[in-house]
Amino acid sequence: MIDLQLTNVSKKYRIRRDVDGGTSLLRKLLSIRKRKEDFWALKDISFGVQRAEALGIIGHNGAGKSTILKLLSRITTPTTGEIMINGRLSALIEVGSGFHPELTGRENIYLNGSILGMMRREITQKLESIVEFAELRQFIDTPVKRYSSGMYVRLGFSIAAHLDPDVLLLDEVLAVGDASFQRKCIQRITELKKSGTTIVFISHDLRAVQQLCDRVILLKKGHIEADGDPAATIALYQSASAQLSGQAAGGMGQKPTGEAVVTSLTFYDENENECLSFETGKPMKAVLNYRVDKPVSDVIFEVQFYSQEGRLTSFFSSETLGQTIDVEPGEGSISFDCSSVGLGPGVYFIDTGIRNRLAPYGIDIDWRRRCIAVRIDYDHHLRETFYMPYICRHSPPQSFANFSPVTPKAFANPSPGLERSDNPGSVNLNKI
Amino acid sequence: MSYARPIRIIRPISFSPRDLVRELRELWQYRDLFYTLTVHRIKVRYKQSVLGLAWAILQPLSLMLIYTVIFSVIAKVPSEGVPYAVFAYAALLPWTFFSSSLTNATQGLVSHSQLVTKVYFAREILPLTYVSAALFDFAVASTFLIALFFYYGVGLSVYALYAIPIMILLAAIATAFSLFLSAMQVRFRDIGVAMPLLLQLWMFSTPVVYPLSAVPQRFRSLYALNPLVGVIENFRRVVLQGVEPDSHSLAISAAAAAILLPLAYLYFKRVEATMADVI
Repeated sequence: MIDLQLTNVSKKYRIRRDVDGGTSLLRKLLSIRKRKEDFWALKDISFGVQRAEALGIIGHNGAGKSTILKLLSRITTPTTGEIMINGRLSALIEVGSGFHPELTGRENIYLNGSILGMMRREITQKLESIVEFAELRQFIDTPVKRYSSGMYVRLGFSIAAHLDPDVLLLDEVLAVGDASFQRKCIQRITELKKSGTTIVFISHDLRAVQQLCDRVILLKKGHIEADGDPAATIALYQSASAQLSGQAAGGMGQKPTGEAVVTSLTFYDENENECLSFETGKPMKAVLNYRVDKPVSDVIFEVQFYSQEGRLTSFFSSETLGQTIDVEPGEGSISFDCSSVGLGPGVYFIDTGIRNRLAPYGIDIDWRRRCIAVRIDYDHHLRETFYMPYICRHSPPQSFANFSPVTPKAFANPSPGLERSDNPGSVNLNKI
Repeated sequence: MSYARPIRIIRPISFSPRDLVRELRELWQYRDLFYTLTVHRIKVRYKQSVLGLAWAILQPLSLMLIYTVIFSVIAKVPSEGVPYAVFAYAALLPWTFFSSSLTNATQGLVSHSQLVTKVYFAREILPLTYVSAALFDFAVASTFLIALFFYYGVGLSVYALYAIPIMILLAAIATAFSLFLSAMQVRFRDIGVAMPLLLQLWMFSTPVVYPLSAVPQRFRSLYALNPLVGVIENFRRVVLQGVEPDSHSLAISAAAAAILLPLAYLYFKRVEATMADVI
């Protein structure tokens, strides 16, 4: 039984120069003769999803993942081809986008629920359960503008999790909320799957994809690169990522000057094995190999980590060496040893390159944009967005006589009585 | 699963009147969203405002005061035997409904771009709820008309009940324009900017602050092409004069609504298909 069938689906976007959406009428009339650039986000895609199957779709940014999601959820229509959907379909995309800040949690449940396609009667029946799942009983009649972002997300997911669809579309939703709520979400999705819901999961979170999916499709530049067993497809994606190929050199700046090039960038775990997934708090090592064609002086090497939203989160730079690097023709390498990864969980896209230290921003000797994706996973250390290395010590309760508090040096004035002291001037509590 | 699973086929946009029935059936499935969003509009508007519901009355009332000063005290405009204030308010009431429907609905899609690009629902719901919320305001503001009647000692006749079908007709026209303009606004933001001016011109070419009888005979047939003429004039006529509506001018408005509404809806649906890409 096929629940979802795409037949020769293509989607074309028209790229216009203006960025703010909506053009003015006059400009439209004036530019009517100008050639518009077409961009095929998807080209001739065909695949089917069986009932109760969980399909994962992975690929780089811009490979067409979110376009598929938009087509399936009917946010936009295909340019050519046909999509068949058998059953009630719900999409869980960026939960909470339909919330109104002035309305209470309860009112927003009705609003959001009906936007997602539930009937009022249905929402009333499920209200208790939604509130329970979101752990918001106390605050359900508070306007959501007073909610913390965590509460927002919990409420949003909770509503969506009660949709009971036949086909469920999942975006990066699992990347939200704290660890315990995430577990709850995964559990709920697993339940839905067991009860026969067909699932399409589109994500950068390869671990979650592997956990959840029976089959994975790898998209590349709008076509299907691979389709099959999750482990094999994910491995193919990761190895393709590692090869620095396929990615256009030169980022936002000008064409690289090209005296030297990055030939490879490899990440290693603590056992010196090649690796693209790390855990917060654990070591990571990046080795960059380069080739120099013409001598250049005063260069720096950089490896930058971008979040999925495209924000530069952290970077390694050879500038921290504190010495000028002049390179002669030949091959060399530079390594960055990180003893404890501070990044929070998620997928990070890597930019790497060589720049002249004094060159203005955007003028590079070589620059590889988004050439690798590195996954960072939770470990028990971290629940929020970044990790600060620390050591925790605990002194269990003891009788006062033996107690010696853990005090930082600066505060370590002997407190009378609590510190065993030979100083005759101090008062011993035991004696009082 | 105990119910029949709906099978849906998504194809590239087509533009045939045959789809109209299917789209309307789907709109019906979203009736609960329509209701919830309408209530939401009304609630949000009056939450955190001191005057609350009074705003619904204040809007036509302040316009009435301004126009009474201009057209009754300064310039002497005929008002068909009733006090000018009542005369003006009786037409400003349906006019305010129409103009606030259009003003809000035009921005309706663009201001919800967050939603439009994230989740699918029958998008016509957005402009439609602005029309229904304006209808609610109309109902509130009507109570003040009754108060004016008492104050000036104007009597109501049974013919005033004609106001109900007339308002339904007006709502249909408002819906047609709301659908059309909100969809246009997605592509051309000029529409929203031009709205205040457009509405101002429209109001003065509709018998709101002056009676239809003041329009010279030779311009009448051209004037009557404005679909609002029949509606507004007849609304005031049945409410104030207490006589039967003028079937001729009303027929023109009804014909306009019958043609414009399906056209606007089809246009809207066509734009809707790729709305999320351009909004």
